[in-house]
Amino acid sequence: MSKREWLNFVDRLIKENEGEVIGVRARGSRFQYAPLESAEELRLDYDVTILPPKKYLLPTHEDLMTFDISKPFEVLANIDEGKRILLGVHPYDVLAIQQMDEIYLGTHRDEHYDARRKNTIIIASDILNVSERSFAGSLGTHVVETGFDLLVTDLGDTVAVTIGSEEGKRLLDTHSETREATLEEKKHVKRLRKELPSRYARKLKVDKYMWQKLLEENYDHPIWEENSKKCLQCGSCTLVCPTCFCYDVDDVMSLNLKEGRRVRTWDGCLLRDFTRVAGGEIFRENIKDRYRHRYYRKGLYLPMRNGFVACVGCGRCATQCLPDIADPCEIMNTLASFSMHEKVNFPIPDVKVAGVEEGLLIPEPATILRKERQTDMETLYEIRPDSGRRLEYRPGQFVEVSIFGVGEAPISIASSPGRDTFELLVRRIGHVTTKLDTMKVGEKIGIRGPFGNGFDVSGIAGRDILFISGGCGLAPTRSLIEYVLENRGDFGKVTILYGCKEPGAVLFGNDLQEWSRKNDVLVKKTVDQCGEGECWDGEVGLITTLIPPLDFDPERTISIVVGPPVMYKFVISELKKKEVPDENIVVSLERRMKCGVGKCGHCQMNGIYVCLEGPVFRYTDVKDMPEAF
Amino acid sequence: MKPRVAFFDFASCEGCQLQVINLEEKILDLIDVVEVVSFREAMKESSDDYDIAFVEGSIMRPMDEERLKRIRKNARILVALGACACIGGVNRLRNEWSVDEVKKEVYDEADIEGNRLFDVFPTKAVDEVVDVDFRIPGCPINREEFAKVVAHLAIGKEPRLPSYPVCVECKKNENICVFELGKFCLGPVTRAGCNAICPTHGDGCEGCRGYLDDPRMEAAKDVLRKYGVSFDEMMKRFNMFNYRKGAI
Repeated sequence: MSKREWLNFVDRLIKENEGEVIGVRARGSRFQYAPLESAEELRLDYDVTILPPKKYLLPTHEDLMTFDISKPFEVLANIDEGKRILLGVHPYDVLAIQQMDEIYLGTHRDEHYDARRKNTIIIASDILNVSERSFAGSLGTHVVETGFDLLVTDLGDTVAVTIGSEEGKRLLDTHSETREATLEEKKHVKRLRKELPSRYARKLKVDKYMWQKLLEENYDHPIWEENSKKCLQCGSCTLVCPTCFCYDVDDVMSLNLKEGRRVRTWDGCLLRDFTRVAGGEIFRENIKDRYRHRYYRKGLYLPMRNGFVACVGCGRCATQCLPDIADPCEIMNTLASFSMHEKVNFPIPDVKVAGVEEGLLIPEPATILRKERQTDMETLYEIRPDSGRRLEYRPGQFVEVSIFGVGEAPISIASSPGRDTFELLVRRIGHVTTKLDTMKVGEKIGIRGPFGNGFDVSGIAGRDILFISGGCGLAPTRSLIEYVLENRGDFGKVTILYGCKEPGAVLFGNDLQEWSRKNDVLVKKTVDQCGEGECWDGEVGLITTLIPPLDFDPERTISIVVGPPVMYKFVISELKKKEVPDENIVVSLERRMKCGVGKCGHCQMNGIYVCLEGPVFRYTDVKDMPEAF
Repeated sequence: MKPRVAFFDFASCEGCQLQVINLEEKILDLIDVVEVVSFREAMKESSDDYDIAFVEGSIMRPMDEERLKRIRKNARILVALGACACIGGVNRLRNEWSVDEVKKEVYDEADIEGNRLFDVFPTKAVDEVVDVDFRIPGCPINREEFAKVVAHLAIGKEPRLPSYPVCVECKKNENICVFELGKFCLGPVTRAGCNAICPTHGDGCEGCRGYLDDPRMEAAKDVLRKYGVSFDEMMKRFNMFNYRKGAI
């Protein structure tokens, strides 16, 4: 169509209510996606926008749901059904949206994203001006063949349009007069696309299919340390990235203390508190580790999981990074020219995830049936979903507990499956758990789940079981202990080792007593310290001291190790002294499992999402993982 | 029972309390969830019986310290309000000079000898005198953040300040980085929570919310040098709200 006809087409889209028309507009010396008021504002000659069009599919801030805490349990999902047309999307951003689709619509479909995506029409545009820091030409992301409804190429006097979908064709037929492109015009478009790579100043010296190998061989490359010294930790590189998809969620209350919103916002792995759990532990504390993680996520972890490099070469990160250390092109070129060749493996365990697949973000109501204080800090809660549904889970799985207005926290299920209720052991340590502590029997909480990978109960049947738990680690372990004792005939020798700080901190004291009364269970317990005159009938010393005197068959015995992060290394080293093979060790690891469905990114441990592949792991799957222990 | 709330001011412009009054219609919600018992800027009544004390201003004199300690004793929760209270703010700039030099500069020959009102020591933030439970930083405070903190306190959720820099909010607002505009910005080392208000209006961040717990000062200085900011200029900007004697 002619240029004039193209402008008319855009104006008609704006006026004839096909939805909100979002196009690329100037913002000072740069560009951004914003609602268009007239076709004149559209700038197809832009190089790159500050933020990617992702912001219309996964907004910077979004109310996932609203609630009214003055009512027993009133929560409403807030789904954006508004129709939108994104105009002028460059090929690399079209590809980035395809990646986002894979993440948010692949498994554990995100309703909020889904609704926006379904109502979004993409009118892509070929690149006319190349951004200074982009290296899309080297990645092949400068052109695109699918993923759009229409693709336009501004040829000067005329605009060529490629139809990508039925909906695109309908728009074109309804709002414009077009003719078949001439052979000359078609050639012009072809030439433009063909010549494009040569116009990029930045070139990748290593094929993107080699990124995985390069990263596997350079985990300890000096560049991570060197560059991280210059890093401001401002998170800009992740915030402007079209393929970054991590988020945070928080509850915001209005000042009247009735209505509130659960808000999702963009988050980034460069920020210090990204991996922080309620207890205060930060799992990626070192700046070097955070700096490196971003590259590994883009070039190794996500490709392993999804099959594509999570970088489209748009160059936004490099453009925005003040110290200029965020450019994947430069990093990969450096690694290629000076590779350490020290291969590290980051396998992702192949776990068939049990648990919920739909309605993932909106909690369902459940009632506190019983509260049993265990220590100063810990309380056991018996919970029943109001729907009457029986939670189907495996020992070791967890649920997300919601208290509206306060937030959400992941809690391991502490009771064995197969009942109408379930039990949670909760330590009063963060926002949610502190609030929960003040709640009474009969009050309502929200639950989501179960999530994660539990213990492989059939895989360990017939074996001797050695439970080794420290502190709160007894909670998820208890779920399995109960299961094993309920199915006692399916297992061989059962031994339970439990350790905690002091007699006053012992959890499940009654259970421990009951288990030790059984003549087919051996229970040993210890405390790190015991004050004078304190009543204690167990050992004194670290939990590791219980292992050497133990008589067990290392080949027959499966060891289930669950406890605080510091415990694993020492316990496992004691087990190794007893010649326990790695494949007989099972662990459960705590991380910040915020969403539970492999999206928000907080619980990631190298390539593993603890909320998907964990928290229960075979030791062999994680023993070489640098971020595991 | 509604928590009883009182406002107090020390060396400050009282602009942070004005921000509270500027909540406008939201102030009706505020007095619905808390009972305001002392608020000199907005009411004439006052009381020493309160649960939550909001304290604005820096501490300059022994008599301030005495009063602040009394407030601390009365209050279950003490919240520092604004830059002056949280970090000393612009008041702290005078710590560059000795108390005598400052008095001479300001009052010259005036007769202030023996007058308690002029008996000053180097500026202190509130937490240098008493324990502070929560902080609402900024010059002035952000009204939204104030409302959020009150709502959190009323609902029993510990208010937490963002642990990330202003850049995060600035990027989400899709601003052009002010360094690109040839200006100077402390956003990378300053605690967010203001919704990047200055950079959003095209000005560099002055650091009024105080630095992050782990500010990347060396990296930030590298950036400033890269953008040609002189050492003197850097000193001035770093010291504006976050004065530290002889250091940046």
